[in-house]
Amino acid sequence: MNRDEANMEYTAADQMVVSGAHQIRDNDVIYVGLGLPFLSTLLAKYTHAPDSTIIIENGIVRTTVFPLPTATDTLGSQTMSDQLTGLFYVNCLGQAGHISTGFIGAGQVDRHGNVNDTVVGDYLNPVHRWPGSGGANDVMSFCRRTIIMLRQSRRRFPEKVDFITCPGYLEGIPGQREEAGLLWNTGPSMVITDLGCYVFEDGEMVVKSIHTGVGVTLNQVKAEVGWDIRVSPDLEETTPPTGEEIRILREKVDPNKIWVGGKRRPVGED
Amino acid sequence: MSKVMTMKEAVLRYVKSGDILFLSGMQHGEPSAAIHEIVRQKIDHLTLVSCLVATSNLMVGEGLIDKVLTGYANQDDKRSYAIAKAKAMNRLPVFEEYSHFGVSLALFAGQMGIPFIPTRCQIGSDMLKYNENIKTIKCPFTGEKTGAVRAIVPDVGIIHVQRADAEGNCQKWGSVGVDQEGINASRKVIATTERIVDSEVIRRDPNRTTIPGFRVNAVVEQPWGAYPMHLAGCYNGDMWSYYMETGPQEGYETYVEQLVYGVNDWNEYLEKMSTLKGADYFDRLSINPILSEPIITGY
Repeated sequence: MNRDEANMEYTAADQMVVSGAHQIRDNDVIYVGLGLPFLSTLLAKYTHAPDSTIIIENGIVRTTVFPLPTATDTLGSQTMSDQLTGLFYVNCLGQAGHISTGFIGAGQVDRHGNVNDTVVGDYLNPVHRWPGSGGANDVMSFCRRTIIMLRQSRRRFPEKVDFITCPGYLEGIPGQREEAGLLWNTGPSMVITDLGCYVFEDGEMVVKSIHTGVGVTLNQVKAEVGWDIRVSPDLEETTPPTGEEIRILREKVDPNKIWVGGKRRPVGED
Repeated sequence: MSKVMTMKEAVLRYVKSGDILFLSGMQHGEPSAAIHEIVRQKIDHLTLVSCLVATSNLMVGEGLIDKVLTGYANQDDKRSYAIAKAKAMNRLPVFEEYSHFGVSLALFAGQMGIPFIPTRCQIGSDMLKYNENIKTIKCPFTGEKTGAVRAIVPDVGIIHVQRADAEGNCQKWGSVGVDQEGINASRKVIATTERIVDSEVIRRDPNRTTIPGFRVNAVVEQPWGAYPMHLAGCYNGDMWSYYMETGPQEGYETYVEQLVYGVNDWNEYLEKMSTLKGADYFDRLSINPILSEPIITGY
């Protein structure tokens, strides 16, 4: 279907999911975290990446589609997997370098791609407390490239996070990840928000594309970043969803509307 | 030798105040019935090791936990009444934070009987600043920097499984989270099971055995023992209802009063739950079973 064909009203959250899916290549092995990354991964699986392998931290390895889970582990995400094992095994796959792509949500991300899922303010006397790493630190430590998805606001995009839960490029000094003992050639590759997509150049976040299709402007993007962010000389308009992608998202990936507007629907409505 | 006993007896005999307690079931088949019994018996000053065990919030809220070794735990008193209640009683646990693989590695080192294990996760993060059981070391062979996680050896571990025999040979299938390393690292082991089966059933498919009988101290038969979580091949869960109900103050207090202290055991709990939620409630959690081809053994 042509991108310009009608009947494809979409939201910023849809754009996030579709942009996420576009990052997945066929034959990728994807370590996927809860939330929008699951929608992107399933959408890619239904469309251009049927031969990708999905890894879920509870110990699930699968190459077939499954009902969108409301938590990482459900009987739906387990059933008819290629392999059911444990957290230890799937992380060994990552640590030994066998997982190409990580896909996580985040509390905050900073200029150098460091992710904070732990605390805002002082660790011992916090302003805000998140539940912590879960598997996110493992994903970003091990995967060749990691895609980070979160809603954008100044508060979520500080110049420097108060706590590094998942190391990005640390202070942006070349080789710093490897010096810290992390695997070579790993780290965040892209940040996808409801406003735009960002890549890393020399360990620093750069605006790569703007979701103009849902009316976002460069000024808006800059206003929701806590530092004077660099803009790529090749700045693009984010590739919008096709009608087919939106249809598959609505009808196959999330037919029960578990995720609406990028947020989990209140459970009482299940 | 049969190790079959009631839940009350197993918890009374093998879970002691001050223990490091491992709970299996990372978002799949947690030992909920056993957790409720520990709360009922008010066994306190526990150090908890687990990943994504939903009903462990009751142990925190009732002030039984001194310390939580965790990769992911709600610590926000605005979002969890259990945390707020613990805080108000001055019983808020200390949270010692790892990544999920960090917890798994610590337990794996415990299972292996070694003091620590090297790793490439957690390093470069700020977790090392606040958790003295994660460090960086120099590889003795290459000199390169690597992470190291100290072993965890729980005093007692509890696992819920689909089937076990009376001697304690346990078989769990589906995703196994941190079950394998956690239960095998534990000094004492309580196995709760949907069904006690003949040992011949275990021996016809012995690759599936998670921990052998000689490592297990107690076997408790408890159908629906993982509810409100799901259990592969047995039932779907209702985790979100549980979170919604026990998240706010009123729901939490009603729950512990009626369904923890207000019942004698898990069977009474299930009866009460079915009265509260409707007679067909547990039927609605049933699964559409898929059968595998049996494996063949023999000589």
